[in-house]
Amino acid sequence: MRYDAVIVGGGLAGLTAGISLQKAGKKTAIVSTGQNALYFFSGCFESIQEPTPEILSLFSEAGVRVHYTPGVRLMPMGTFKESALALDDVSLFPAPDFGKKVLIINFMAYHDFFSSFLAQGLEKQGMECRIRFLNLGDLAQPELGPNQMRAVQIARKLDDVWEKVVQEVRVLLKDEDTVVLPQVFGLNDASIPERIRQGIPARVVFAGTLPPSVPGIRTQNLLKKRYEVLGGTYLLGDRVTGAHVYEDVVQNVVTKQLDRHYLEADHFILASGSFFSKGLSSNPFKIYEPLFELDMDYDTDRNTWYDPTFANHQPYLGFGVKTDAEFHPSRHGVPVKNLYVIGSILGETHPELGSGAGLAIRSALQVTQLITGKP
Amino acid sequence: MQYQEYTQSENNFEECTKCTVCTAYCPVMQVNPLYPGPKQAGPDGERLRLRDPGFFDEALKYCLNCKRCEVVCPSEVRVADIIQAARIKFENKPPKLRDTMLANTDTMGKLARPFAPLVNFATRQPVTKVALDFTLAIDRHRTFPTYSAHGFEGWLKRRRKEQAAFQEQVAYYHGCYVNYNYPKLGKDLVKVLNAMGIGVQLLEDEKCCGIALISNQLIKKATKNARFNVEQLAKAVDKGLKVVTTSSTCTLTLQEEYPNLLGVDNSAVRDSLLMATRFIYEKLEQGATLPYRPDFHKRVAYHTPCHMQRLGWGVFSQRLLQMIPGIEFIPLEQTCCGMAGTYGFKKENYATSQAIGEPLFEQIRSVNPDVVACDCETCKWQIEMSTGYKVDNPISILADAIARTD
Amino acid sequence: MRVPDCSVDPFRLCAANMLDAKLHGGQVRLQTEVTGILREGNTVKGIRTHNRNTGADQEFYAPIVVNAGGVWGQELAQMAGIKVGMFPAKGSLLIFAHRVNNMVINRCRKPSNADILVPGDTVCIVGTTSSRIPLEECRNVAVTPDEVTLLITEGMKLAPRLASTRILRAYAGVRPLVSADDDPSGRNISRGIVCLDHEVRDGVKGLITITGGKLTSYRLMAEMATDLVCKKLGVDKACETAIHPLPGSEEGSYEEVAKKIWENPTTAQKVAAARMGSRVSRIRSTDRRDEALICECEQVTMGEINSAIDRLEASTLTDLRRRTRVGMGTCQGEFCACRAAGLLAKAHGCIEKERADIDYFLQERWKGNFPIGWGDTLREAEYTQWVYKHVLGI
Repeated sequence: MRYDAVIVGGGLAGLTAGISLQKAGKKTAIVSTGQNALYFFSGCFESIQEPTPEILSLFSEAGVRVHYTPGVRLMPMGTFKESALALDDVSLFPAPDFGKKVLIINFMAYHDFFSSFLAQGLEKQGMECRIRFLNLGDLAQPELGPNQMRAVQIARKLDDVWEKVVQEVRVLLKDEDTVVLPQVFGLNDASIPERIRQGIPARVVFAGTLPPSVPGIRTQNLLKKRYEVLGGTYLLGDRVTGAHVYEDVVQNVVTKQLDRHYLEADHFILASGSFFSKGLSSNPFKIYEPLFELDMDYDTDRNTWYDPTFANHQPYLGFGVKTDAEFHPSRHGVPVKNLYVIGSILGETHPELGSGAGLAIRSALQVTQLITGKP
Repeated sequence: MQYQEYTQSENNFEECTKCTVCTAYCPVMQVNPLYPGPKQAGPDGERLRLRDPGFFDEALKYCLNCKRCEVVCPSEVRVADIIQAARIKFENKPPKLRDTMLANTDTMGKLARPFAPLVNFATRQPVTKVALDFTLAIDRHRTFPTYSAHGFEGWLKRRRKEQAAFQEQVAYYHGCYVNYNYPKLGKDLVKVLNAMGIGVQLLEDEKCCGIALISNQLIKKATKNARFNVEQLAKAVDKGLKVVTTSSTCTLTLQEEYPNLLGVDNSAVRDSLLMATRFIYEKLEQGATLPYRPDFHKRVAYHTPCHMQRLGWGVFSQRLLQMIPGIEFIPLEQTCCGMAGTYGFKKENYATSQAIGEPLFEQIRSVNPDVVACDCETCKWQIEMSTGYKVDNPISILADAIARTD
Repeated sequence: MRVPDCSVDPFRLCAANMLDAKLHGGQVRLQTEVTGILREGNTVKGIRTHNRNTGADQEFYAPIVVNAGGVWGQELAQMAGIKVGMFPAKGSLLIFAHRVNNMVINRCRKPSNADILVPGDTVCIVGTTSSRIPLEECRNVAVTPDEVTLLITEGMKLAPRLASTRILRAYAGVRPLVSADDDPSGRNISRGIVCLDHEVRDGVKGLITITGGKLTSYRLMAEMATDLVCKKLGVDKACETAIHPLPGSEEGSYEEVAKKIWENPTTAQKVAAARMGSRVSRIRSTDRRDEALICECEQVTMGEINSAIDRLEASTLTDLRRRTRVGMGTCQGEFCACRAAGLLAKAHGCIEKERADIDYFLQERWKGNFPIGWGDTLREAEYTQWVYKHVLGI
């Protein structure tokens, strides 16, 4: 099959590139090995201090509700982190205006939302907290078994009965000015978090849980749908296993499932992610990019890959594929003319683009501009 | 000495990073609290089973083998295969009569055919269904597929000469469904391929692909069928023929389950095995044409069967349908229909099956298509029974959309 | 060639011994550090302690103090003004992510580095090395890259499959080798069990030291020590620990034990029975919520964790890890650390302490992961970093 661009990797970077290219009239395909880091998305688009209209319309056109409020957000362990652009679910407020009295709501037998640590973290900062537990079995039948109490399964139930949660919280609410709920709302309906806010006479803050991330899955679904509605082909569960490169130009890529049915394109975008998704690989002696064997930026002395203190920044997280100003990588110093690299596989090689979501989105949009020739 | 040159552990289950994506997407997990989930049943459980076979969990029987866990795994862990392989190795329970009957599709087909009208009449009667419910625990709500009085093989054999006249030839692995229950699909395939100037021949012989035998732990028979089928496929491949199929599950079984679960080597034939939609699409991409009817209009919703999603070839069926002039094509969001072959017939699974399929049924109702397109026969039974909408294989829709060539 | 070898679950062994002592009337105080030995003239009267959980200091008196402090034995003896020369020997080992063998595999040669591969629970362990380290380093032993290389290359000779098996973690321990005499050069390291009667050796009554030896001979060492204690106390009884099974180790395979308690045991219940023996009856519960898996990798339920907190003196994540295997699976605490910390906080009420405990636990896990930080281990580490730093904000 022939495309204008084939994108290796269907995470935030790949989807952003795919959506923007389709919007610009290009025919694209995305190949994705399973799900991606959006699955445990915190809801906050890191390192995007000032979103451009392009970034905002990317989300609004896909039905992803975001808001831009430079300030801080509440982390699940009771601390605050600077943020500016986040999903609707994630409240952002100017520090330190969080509240004085907090009612924290959790579900019985749900072990992935750390209400006591959240409370302790807030109390250390001078707030008064009260924790109350709701019984999910009272709200929705049939009751979930003890090992079905995961964010995504709870969210599926709550999609139907979230109004009951609002009622219960209203009954429990005393004189608190802030209510904290776990991020288990709005799996399929992005409007639910806002509707919950409207139903509770206090500031409502949704705090994260252990993966899966309900807002993350919702966002992934919305972006993928948007891509497909624009005419993109999302090949889920397939993996690019090889490429034919001739005279520094990628001719086509081979996938595991399509085997001899090569994917041909004018442009190829590598958005295969970091170690987690095997966009980068490692053995005791080296770190490398396994698909094209692209030149990398890292220190070959393994001892430099790690900081022995877990809490410190880990060097290996910053390793990435080397590219020029136009995101072209090289093999043995020779640039690959029609290959672009975007997203977390870049590591910290483009510090001006930020990290995480900021890196993914910015690099994807810039590459789209390069490919379409439009600003 | 260089050590660990490879980053991929040779033990696929060790690549699991415990992200739990598989568990979040498992259809059984959502409705059945007794199922531990793919991560636990698969890679977690494997470490325990390697320690001691006694840690094998009977609850693995609730796995549908839909392979959705494999499709969503970011680490390429073949979760469903790990679970099925564990069941094959450790689930040493002799299959019940019911399971043996459900799984032996060739035998049941051969027995039923001479009495097809009578059998079809009987299985429609509530009293029969209740009796089967009580005696064999086949759920009384379940609609049985009908048997055809005339097999597909006989029909094609009678046209051997005319098919041989075509310059290009292809072999067809039709599977037990087309032969015993629904020869029309086979006839539709012949119509479409003939319209492209391609003649269709049977394999010298074939048996049921064996997926039902595998699911019901009749491994010896499944392996026998597998070896037999690979031999027959090889005969066709040696003649330079490609072999096409119309069932996504048959294809997955022949391609993947044979080597991965049964240890049957199919490397000589694997590359020549293609779903018909892929085969036809690739031909059209290379310049072949089809005589589409100008008066064809249909609102078609495409459902990707789970095994098709795993094969990664749903894109071919979709593309093929989209190319038909006059088609209003609506891709449905991929979600399991809940039937999983013989799984949904069993009384103990019926409620789970229906609960799993409900989101799909709702989608179909809201789309309100003229027909649902789907490459899997058991999806067809499930959707027709649960929604009342007609389901056709993309090949049948394509056959309907082209002018008659005779 | 087969030799009569076997492997033991050292965590279960330790817990069972502790339980046995308690069942016979002994008191067990964990997180209690000995900060001084009370000596009046030439007689030891007791010990001074500091409780790390409560912060309280307390004194205990007894006619005999037994110094079984392993490599810390030198420091303890020092508190009584006695010199016991320890020559700590560090040993490093590698843990592989699953069992490649179900029998112990030995190199048939003179004892050397990395000549044994031992299956244990869900993993197998290759070891070990031996290098002298100064006493000060014992508080912070680390596995060096050279040791990792050695263990892998030698381990591959034992089992070539190890070359393509995921390594779970690297860890190091310290052997309490002790000099038979006062010679500071350490030329006379005792290879066997060392039982010191300080009344005879140093003229100080009321203190004995038992050290040296190996895990295999731990019971014999205890017998030697208790025989000496009994002699001093005038107790005329023979030691019976060689004939009585430890709690939980009465007749029955784990399957039989589990089936007796739960008619149709789940895998998690069977795994608990394998960990606890017949003691597993304690975690039988009518509340389904007790079946929630806190550590999925090792199948540790909430019921088992609460039982370890209640009955096995577990008050930190590290304690829980040793009693139940929480955090010892392939995710190395990624999911279970916070969940288990939540249960601990609920039990002992100090959330601040548990919050710090999480940091400590994660650091301790990381210590064993980065020496083998490549391949799937590095992928896991990245995921852990993302979850803890970006999602949870730790």
